[in-house]
Amino acid sequence: MTDAAFELVGQRAVQEEKISAKKKWYQEKPVLSIGILSIILLGCLFAELLMTKDPTYMDLVNYNKAPDREFLFGTDTMGRDIFSMMWYGGRLSLLIGALSTIISTMIAIVVGALSGAAPQWLDSLIMRFTEIFLSIPSLLLVILLQAIMGNANVISLSVVIGLTSWTSIAKVVRTEVRQIRNSEYVIASRCMGGSFFHILWKHLAPNFISSIMFMVIMNVRNAIISESTLSFMGIGLPLEIISWGSMLSLSEKALMTGSWWIILIPGLFLVTTLLCLTNVGNYLRKNVNRKESNL
Amino acid sequence: MRKEILVDVKNLTHQFHLTKKAVIRAVDDVSFQIFKGEIFGLVGESGSGKSTVARCLMNIYEPSAGSIQYRGIDICDKREFQKNKQMLQTRRQIIFQDSTSSLNQRMKVADIISEPMKIHHITPPRGSYRKEAEFQMKYVGLDESFLDRYPSEMSGGQRQRVAIARALSMEPEFLVADEPIASLDVSIQAQVINLFRHLQQEHGFTFLFIAHDLAMVEYLCDRVGVMYHGRMVELAPAKELFSNPLHGYTKTLLSAIPIPDPVRERKRKLLVYDGADFGKGELKEVSPDHFVLQRSEGGYTGEKA
Repeated sequence: MTDAAFELVGQRAVQEEKISAKKKWYQEKPVLSIGILSIILLGCLFAELLMTKDPTYMDLVNYNKAPDREFLFGTDTMGRDIFSMMWYGGRLSLLIGALSTIISTMIAIVVGALSGAAPQWLDSLIMRFTEIFLSIPSLLLVILLQAIMGNANVISLSVVIGLTSWTSIAKVVRTEVRQIRNSEYVIASRCMGGSFFHILWKHLAPNFISSIMFMVIMNVRNAIISESTLSFMGIGLPLEIISWGSMLSLSEKALMTGSWWIILIPGLFLVTTLLCLTNVGNYLRKNVNRKESNL
Repeated sequence: MRKEILVDVKNLTHQFHLTKKAVIRAVDDVSFQIFKGEIFGLVGESGSGKSTVARCLMNIYEPSAGSIQYRGIDICDKREFQKNKQMLQTRRQIIFQDSTSSLNQRMKVADIISEPMKIHHITPPRGSYRKEAEFQMKYVGLDESFLDRYPSEMSGGQRQRVAIARALSMEPEFLVADEPIASLDVSIQAQVINLFRHLQQEHGFTFLFIAHDLAMVEYLCDRVGVMYHGRMVELAPAKELFSNPLHGYTKTLLSAIPIPDPVRERKRKLLVYDGADFGKGELKEVSPDHFVLQRSEGGYTGEKA
């Protein structure tokens, strides 16, 4: 009998695994998105250096021109240089996105924390109110509020968008706060005399900030979309204030004349920015989920 | 010589409402006094209402009935509490049982220790908040290299010391320790208890010590109150209580202490307390400073007459 006749029972053949190469720092990170996003952001911040023309100047000789060497992205129906407008207008679009997100996140955190810390009846009251608010289409609310506030400018538009987009974040904050509020370090802090806002910023916020990060990033995206939608429909920023949205509002005229660059280029910028933001947000969400078990 | 009364609890009752009809009396008509500079122990089985008493004393719960006076201030009265809020919040401090949950996982140790000082905007006597935290860390026997760590990077005993350091940073005169050693292993329990003893001797603060480890209570406390089902059944100086228990429940509780001697341990009889007519009666002074819950017609409650 040879050894070959025997086979050890219960021993599993272990395949030798190749030691995979060490992960590089850029793997599993949205490097491309962050890169593109920072290029757009920096371009908008230092628009003066990039601009080849005055974006507000209406060149009546060169209107509706296709992209060429002088006008890199062409000119619109009013003879403005689209390349310069892109960077210049991006400022407002991103500013509105950031500003309205800050406003809505602030409202969401305060309302959510209040509701989470409040006694049962007040909590239900605030949450039912939030749900009613949530059930109304936000575009309708935005239009209504904008009509009340009168002429649209950057601040009023950000406030209006911010006021209408806090509900979903508030609900998440409320759930998180309800979980943490009875933990002993919150009670201890209350015993020491910590005020509501002290406890909110020191103890509650660090614990729920990671779970709302994704929603906050998505909020920036939604705010930019809202701004362009409103501008496109003509209730947002007027034509002479340049933003990506107001540039897109020229597209209906452009469709008739067949000038693709007026539609395509602002649209491309918008879609790229939104895609990158979504990508970054997605990465954050995945990362938070993984880290949670580590803490 | 009578000592000065620091905390005076009178007929304290606290109820928890489970549903609209179901009510649990966690604390039922409890009265006791804590004198200045003593260590007052509170013992009893789980669910006997010890922690609820502590939380009522710290204004975490609002008692359903009764009054608590701290230096003559009725802390259950909202107006009086508001008037003396700053004093009450700095002079009284609490240490919780579970150091894992009583420290914020996302704050560094240095921030945790200096948090109460920051809340009350107290200028740190030792220059900066950081120095103050360093000082407190040394005081409870921790190395200052821990200051930049997070609580999750420390052991249970170290965390409990951080919690103690946080309470001590306000230099309180009344410290409530809600089972501070229950979640620690035995060797660290000894460290923490010795730390408490040392601190008490040095600081002279008043201490409410809640535990279910009777040996620790005997070692540490001056006077001990025994609680059962939300009522105070016996209250006496520690020595008196452990040598001469009168109430049936106290006897049962003491009979449960293991004796580190095999011969005597084998002879030890575990008493059973049935608590048949428990709950009626009043706390009466049988001998000086020794109070026992008694039936109105005589004889201790829960005992066959």
